[in-house]
Amino acid sequence: MFQYVLRRLLVAVPMLLGAMSIVFLAMRILPGDPCVAMMGDQATTAALADCTKNLGLHRPLAVQYVDYLWRSVQFDFGKSFRQGYPVSEYIARMFPHTFVLVVASAVVAALVGIPIGIVSALKRRNPLVDYPLRIIALLGLSMPVFWLGILLLIVFSLHLNLFPLIGGGDLDGVLAMIRSGEVFSQPRDFLAGVGDVLHHLTLPALALGFTLAATVSRLSRSAMLEVISQDYIRTARAKGQRERLVVYKHALRNMMVPLLTIIGIFIAIALTGTVLTETVFTRPGLGKMLVDAIGARDYPLAQGAITVFTMIIIFVNLVVDMLYAVVDPRITYR
Amino acid sequence: MAVVRRADPVDLPIGGVAEEARGATRARLRRWLPIGIGLLMAAAMVVVAAAAPLIAPLSPSAQFSDSVLKGPGAVERHLLGTDEFGRDILSRIIWGARVSLEVGLASVIFGFVLGVPLGILAGVRGGRVETLIMRCADMLMAFPTLLLALIIVTALGGSLVNEILAIGVALTPNFVRLARSLALTIREQDYILAARALGSGQLRVMARHVFPNALYALVVVGTLYIATAIRTEAGLSFLGLGIPPPTPSWGNILSEGRQYIKCCPWITTFSGLAIMVAVLAFNLVGDALRDLLDPRLKGE
Repeated sequence: MFQYVLRRLLVAVPMLLGAMSIVFLAMRILPGDPCVAMMGDQATTAALADCTKNLGLHRPLAVQYVDYLWRSVQFDFGKSFRQGYPVSEYIARMFPHTFVLVVASAVVAALVGIPIGIVSALKRRNPLVDYPLRIIALLGLSMPVFWLGILLLIVFSLHLNLFPLIGGGDLDGVLAMIRSGEVFSQPRDFLAGVGDVLHHLTLPALALGFTLAATVSRLSRSAMLEVISQDYIRTARAKGQRERLVVYKHALRNMMVPLLTIIGIFIAIALTGTVLTETVFTRPGLGKMLVDAIGARDYPLAQGAITVFTMIIIFVNLVVDMLYAVVDPRITYR
Repeated sequence: MAVVRRADPVDLPIGGVAEEARGATRARLRRWLPIGIGLLMAAAMVVVAAAAPLIAPLSPSAQFSDSVLKGPGAVERHLLGTDEFGRDILSRIIWGARVSLEVGLASVIFGFVLGVPLGILAGVRGGRVETLIMRCADMLMAFPTLLLALIIVTALGGSLVNEILAIGVALTPNFVRLARSLALTIREQDYILAARALGSGQLRVMARHVFPNALYALVVVGTLYIATAIRTEAGLSFLGLGIPPPTPSWGNILSEGRQYIKCCPWITTFSGLAIMVAVLAFNLVGDALRDLLDPRLKGE
């Protein structure tokens, strides 16, 4: 077990280094001077030289690379070119917004996707049940999250006026109340703040959650199909156990390992989804920050956001791989 | 004396055969219907894209100042309405199909041409070559497709070629992994041993034996990646990083229409619908082909 974890860690480190190198190369080596891109063709030579020095681009590439790696490990991504303050601070402010969106959409995706997948697998010989469920999954898979988001906004925000059109609610205020302990002294204000955050969160979570539910349902369907074809399920049925018990007691438990894989895949897709979802709903978050940074040609901010995205994905996959060994002791590192 | 009851000897076989035939027809229908629908939709998209100059009622960039932001059917010549510049939405969606299909097909071909030889090389050669290729693929796979495409497009700038390049590179590691796993199975087959015994070199084995035997599975999965590529292109264009306006692409039509969702929801509705139908078509074909030809690929 320890050896497995250690080896998995050893594989993750070069992978992270490689992924960070790709980010670095994309931002530095590919055509175009970042300063010209940021300041435009009209910028004076002195201003360009100043910008080059500020970004540290006057140094040899190898030095810049090592510096970037070293500072990234310490979560120091430099200063935002447009905003002027440290990128890591900006990321720290945006991260909770993206985190709550990912968690809320995960809840939606799990509540919708897993039951659909399981029922679709168990009733696969009943086309009246299996077909509609598979079609729903296929539609969810084909529907771009930004389009679904816009449709939800048109119906629920513009026509029914049930949810806000933009923004993410006062999450910063809620977090500040938790940190300062005001959550106990002013519980009403706190609950009002939470309610406001949830109000702003509902539509984005539904949009992202539904498109993710399609992937989750397909993965849980194939996981369930694999589990129910196992010998122990046949044995349980041969013993005369009721079908419901066979499913709950034997099949669902053994779906744990495939479901863990779903979590790993899910986080990667969800994080990508936040880029589009936050843009559609004009919500603060890492995804919108990345798009805005690219639009404003704020390279330090964009580089920081992409690096953090990559770190999260590699970290989640690492944790999932480790959980495999905990859930199923038969799994060893090959 | 025991009474033996006999079932009607005529009824049973006929009923059984009829039931069996019905069952077989149902099974055939179940197998071929999704492919049929998917192929029909995909073929319709190809025809629309290829014949855009002939079937588009108006020029996609022609601006009609007297018909700005008109709804579907409000003005006779604009069946699906107009945008903020008075451009015909239907014509822009028809021309947008070209961009989506070009990017979808070209980026998958790019990923295929780059990834499959590397994957086969890794699978057949093994050792350090395999480790090197697979670790590079793993690094690229740390980025979700849209994110990697976004990084590359940011660095190169938004244009048709750059989008193809970005999505193609983002899809490459998927082809590398699949080609490698197929090559690992194929290299153990007797006919590979026979080819080697006959003096075939590694390159010949890869090109003449491994590649043809892996081809159909790769093509099936490639069909699914066309759907991914179309969706990614739409996402990039929606974020303003794809093909710049006024060239119409479904993503940028949707993005431009976002500002007018309150008064004119048809702009976003129809362009989004076009994206969904296109992605659905290739998902249907890819899914059905995969289930039909190779159940082993169900997890891919």
